[in-house]
Amino acid sequence: MGQPLLARFPMEGNVSGHHRSPHRGSSVEFAEYRNYVPGDDIRRLDWRVFARTDRYYLKEFEAETNLRCYVVLDCSGSMGFTGEHGSRLDYAKRLAATLGYLVINQGDAAGLLHVTEKTATEIPPRRNASHLQVILDALGQAQPAGGTRLVPMLHELAEKARRRALVVILSDCFCDGDELRDALQHLRYQKHDLALFHLLDPLELDFEFDRPVRFVDMEGSQSIITEPATVRAEYQAHLKRFLNKLRDNCHEFNADYRRVTLDQPYDKVLADFLTERARHATRA
Amino acid sequence: MTFLQPLILWGLPLMLLPVIIHLINRMRHRPRQWAAMQFLLAATRSSTSHAKLRNLLIMLMRVLAVLTLLLFLARPLVGGWLGWALAAAPDAILLLVDRSASMESRVAGADESRREYALKMLADAAGEFEHASHLVLLDSATRKAHEITTASSLLELPYTQPTDTAADLPAMLQTALDWLIENQAGTAEIWIASDLQASNWQPDDPRWETLITAFDSLPQKVRVRLLATTQESPGNASISVAQLSRQQASGNGEVRLAVDLNRSQANAGTATITRTLNGVATELEARVTGQSTRWRHRFAVGDQAGGWGKLELPADGNPRDNVTYYRYSDNHPPAGLVVTESALGPLWQAAASVAGQVGRTPAKRHTPGNVTPADLRDATLVVWQAPLPEGEMAGTIRRFADEGGRVIFFPPGQPATARFVGLGWGEKQTGGDAGFAVGRWDEDQGPLANTDEGLLLPLTKLGVRQRQQVIGQAAVLAAFDDGQALLVRRVLGRGEVYFCTTLPLLAWSEMGDGLVVVPMLQRLLADGSRRLQRDSVAECGQVGAGDLQLEWTSIETGQRGDVQTQAGVYQSGDRWLVVNRPAAEDEFERVEDGAVAGLFGTLSFQLFQAQRDDTALQGEIWRLFLFLMLLALVVEAWLIRPGSMAEAVPPKPQPPAA
Repeated sequence: MGQPLLARFPMEGNVSGHHRSPHRGSSVEFAEYRNYVPGDDIRRLDWRVFARTDRYYLKEFEAETNLRCYVVLDCSGSMGFTGEHGSRLDYAKRLAATLGYLVINQGDAAGLLHVTEKTATEIPPRRNASHLQVILDALGQAQPAGGTRLVPMLHELAEKARRRALVVILSDCFCDGDELRDALQHLRYQKHDLALFHLLDPLELDFEFDRPVRFVDMEGSQSIITEPATVRAEYQAHLKRFLNKLRDNCHEFNADYRRVTLDQPYDKVLADFLTERARHATRA
Repeated sequence: MTFLQPLILWGLPLMLLPVIIHLINRMRHRPRQWAAMQFLLAATRSSTSHAKLRNLLIMLMRVLAVLTLLLFLARPLVGGWLGWALAAAPDAILLLVDRSASMESRVAGADESRREYALKMLADAAGEFEHASHLVLLDSATRKAHEITTASSLLELPYTQPTDTAADLPAMLQTALDWLIENQAGTAEIWIASDLQASNWQPDDPRWETLITAFDSLPQKVRVRLLATTQESPGNASISVAQLSRQQASGNGEVRLAVDLNRSQANAGTATITRTLNGVATELEARVTGQSTRWRHRFAVGDQAGGWGKLELPADGNPRDNVTYYRYSDNHPPAGLVVTESALGPLWQAAASVAGQVGRTPAKRHTPGNVTPADLRDATLVVWQAPLPEGEMAGTIRRFADEGGRVIFFPPGQPATARFVGLGWGEKQTGGDAGFAVGRWDEDQGPLANTDEGLLLPLTKLGVRQRQQVIGQAAVLAAFDDGQALLVRRVLGRGEVYFCTTLPLLAWSEMGDGLVVVPMLQRLLADGSRRLQRDSVAECGQVGAGDLQLEWTSIETGQRGDVQTQAGVYQSGDRWLVVNRPAAEDEFERVEDGAVAGLFGTLSFQLFQAQRDDTALQGEIWRLFLFLMLLALVVEAWLIRPGSMAEAVPPKPQPPAA
């Protein structure tokens, strides 16, 4: 996995790094000329241009800064779904740990935010190598429980993270679609770069059962006995509508939506993710 | 509903087997932790109602299949009549039972009559309703409503026992209608048990239309169900006395009987008839040809007082019509009285003369002005050829007829305004050279009937040149070609009044040769003898109100008898009463099914043709349950067919591109 994790939008950091900054500063990467306006530092005037044109121009250079990456891990009860290919939460943990490793390893800051219905654990982004262990320990302790508080947590994050950051969400998104849309919009409003890993088990998509099943809600006590064959079409229609809407919402706010089925190897999922972002960064 | 294998009904709880299996299956459902519950709930909300309905239908079909299989194996016996019991109970059920003599016909292959069969069927069917509906019996003999508490009592009630009466179905329905109106019953059903005998149903009677209109206008709904006991019967023959007269010839009195024999078979042969005369039985043989034979029989009685007897046929399809009763009266010689001022007096006297020990005695003759009631005391026939009687004399003659005497009026020759019992003389008509020819007359009964030997009176050869029209309504016994009457009759009490429109004068007709007028007057003389007799003759169910007041004793049994329903010879003091079943009961004609249905017009009507052999009906019920079971299985298979259960399953969805 030789690709670095790059942000698709300029980041705000306090140290120099690989990521574009919204600020223009001193660096080796020329950016543009612009007219002088009162208040500008006259030390940044390009005197050669003044000599040739008798006009005041400032020469600007791309600032490069470090990345702050928040990995948001949904730990609601539904993330504990276990199918033929293992638990959804375990899959999410592997993705989160790998991302944390990549970020810290490339000198950027990685943080973790995982939330259940009653508890919320936030590990702020740090760049030092020992911080990775903190993240891994937190991931190891994360257990699925109760309902989801993903949406309020994203709103909270949008308010709390003042500087631009990359927010990677690992969730099954089994919550209200409109509320999730609002949360994503909130994050984008704060200029955060969003990546949503939508984790689904193939069984949830195919809904293939050969006999009546008593379905028990993983986020409540509700249960329902049904003949899957009789409701399959309706179920898939509802699910498809939800998935399409979520994807459209993500595209609307320029969030990186990635639907992942648990039968896909997670390293390939991440490789595709990183490659895609690197291609995007190059185009930018 | 009854069953040939009722023990199998203990297996009825097995019909719950599909339900139990379904419940066990539900308990065996594999639990599955599910995350995407919101979509599952949404899907079940929209498809569960449909699925539930289908599951319910599947279970219902399975339960039905087991139930019908059990019922099929239990061999249910449900006939069409009993099948009515499956209907909802009405507030009142009126059971109209035909107790006429024809209902005593035996049913082929069974030792029971149509009436007994019908009563059993009614009792079985009504038994299902006896706790929910008022059961009201209305029999044809009494035409009175009797409320009954248990249907099984139908077989024992005196109002359902056999009679020698006829049934009047329109009258019975009228009684039923009156009962419904009087008792303000709610929903009602009328169950009729009858053999559809035409003389009982009287399909041409105008009362039907009125009745159906009245039933239609009732506020409650009335349904009519008819159990037609029209099963095959063994061969049957009936016997009835058509005429009886006591003749005094040459000092040896004899009784002459004209007996009608009706048979269901038309082959010629000999019928054995047992004649009982004053308790002494004698076996006789009568030659019969065709379905109807008139057998004439005479036996000597000398000068003895009156007697009674019966004629009996051997046992056959209907024991009720195998006997007929008769009574001949004391020897009261007839006597005629001629009232005229014309020259025809001697001729009338000779024609109405009476044979006695010393030759013939001519009838007495009087003029209209000097007739007294005393002259009529011993008379049986009055021949009146003068202006019609008026005032007191008219009353005297009317009383004479009321008592059973016969009166015959001949034209006075001039039109008059006077009327007697509504009849009078009109214009005199002349027929010209051709005269008036007699076109038709009643050959079976009345004074112009055929002779004992079956010979016609020579009315076709009777030349009539003049006639005097009769004014008023009366039964025409003989008529000319142009429709005008030659002889008319009006019944008055026990007697009869005749008007003959021509005279035995050459200027009027050739009646004077005596070939018509003599037998006519002789028959009227004999018939008028009833006036002097203390005997009554009646049809069962038609006994006069006066006679019903008396206490009658059956001469056969010595017991008190019911003269209104049972045929026989009865005595009350010095009065005798002979009761026979109505002649119409011997007719085999039935009303067609379609015609019966038509009689009930717009009323809800069901006709059930009783079949003696119930096996066919039972078989149909088996087939019905078998069919129902197969139908339930087919429906169940259709509901659970793979295409149905997975009809909306689309192809496996491919994960859409992110």
